[in-house]
Amino acid sequence: MINTVTKNYLNGQFINYTMVKNEVSSSVPLDEANSDYQAIQTWIADGGTVIDNPPE
Amino acid sequence: MAIDKITTPAIADDAVTNAKVSYNNNQFRNIIINGDMSLAQRATSVTGVGNGDNSCHTVDRLSFYEEGGTSGEFTMSQESDVPTGQGFSKSTKLDCTTADASLAAAEVIALEYKFEGQMLQYIKKGTSNAESLTLSFWVKTNKTGTYVANFYDNDNDRHTSQNYTVSSSNTWEKKTITFAPDTSGALTNDNTLALAMYFILGAGTTYTSGSAATAWETFTGNADNWCGGQNVNLLDNTSNEFYITGVQLEAGTSASDFEFLPFDINLRRCQRYFFKLLADRWLYAINSGNTYSRHSIQFPVQMRATPTSTVSYGSTGTGSGVQFENADSVTVYVNGLGASETDVKSGSKFESEL
Repeated sequence: MINTVTKNYLNGQFINYTMVKNEVSSSVPLDEANSDYQAIQTWIADGGTVIDNPPE
Repeated sequence: MAIDKITTPAIADDAVTNAKVSYNNNQFRNIIINGDMSLAQRATSVTGVGNGDNSCHTVDRLSFYEEGGTSGEFTMSQESDVPTGQGFSKSTKLDCTTADASLAAAEVIALEYKFEGQMLQYIKKGTSNAESLTLSFWVKTNKTGTYVANFYDNDNDRHTSQNYTVSSSNTWEKKTITFAPDTSGALTNDNTLALAMYFILGAGTTYTSGSAATAWETFTGNADNWCGGQNVNLLDNTSNEFYITGVQLEAGTSASDFEFLPFDINLRRCQRYFFKLLADRWLYAINSGNTYSRHSIQFPVQMRATPTSTVSYGSTGTGSGVQFENADSVTVYVNGLGASETDVKSGSKFESEL
């Protein structure tokens, strides 16, 4: 079960997500063929809120 | 036959077929990767496998599958209990540790194997030349009765099922099942999930109230046939256990001997979906002052898709993560270390399962 999803930025660019699932933290790429990326999109569609703190 | 009798007229073109030599010599005929259960990169035993735990826990490529939220749980493990004299050294075991004596209507428990569409184009599904599929495997369980093996076509919402019977308690039995070809529903030729195969281990009435869909049909509207005939619930008692090995799926209507692959070939095929570091690796400074430390990891084979990275660090500095990620490689970064040092820990893993 997904606990949280956070957008990651590097040098001002959104590069991937950090997903905490079953208390384990992983980096999920922006690849539509990645099954965790697909799970995040489903989680968002079901009402999950992505934490987004872009650099200023 | 005398050697001088082996002439072109005696063996006409195309006259020697696999059936006549009783041996299918097609290499890589087994569509299943790691069907001998020999590789378990993640772990050899995981406890508490149940509700919400749909993934590959131990043996590579073979996943636990549940839906409906059963309260039952298994220990899933790689074991050395195998059928005698068949060449196998490992099996997968599910051991019921928390019972769910009566599965609710929408509950299912199963072992699942998922296929990329590009791996299945030669079965010609969705054409008039579609191939039958023959599944063979060895099974041992205390729960005798009727089980279901089935397929779900994720691209076209279609399914088919077959029953098989475990006759003798706690005895290795070989099962062979042939599934009819499907002339409808072509599989997309890419690296995403096209087809999934299930060994059903228990299911509620939503999926069992019909009869097995021995001919392919649309899943929606016919879900009651998906597990039709299943009369076993492996979760109904904590004394239940289920072993499986030697899983082979091949095109055609007959099963050939299990195709053993060399260890290194099997490992590389599994690493398309999962790769784990076996030793720590240093991150190196790429600028003066060591505000940026990096380590690039080249995967041993191109992975199915850009993997999910689960990385452990000696120190995370002021920020850490992965960048420049693709199916071939990833760069691990830690920023702001200054005079400190850090490494990527062994056990860090990269997963690209379907």
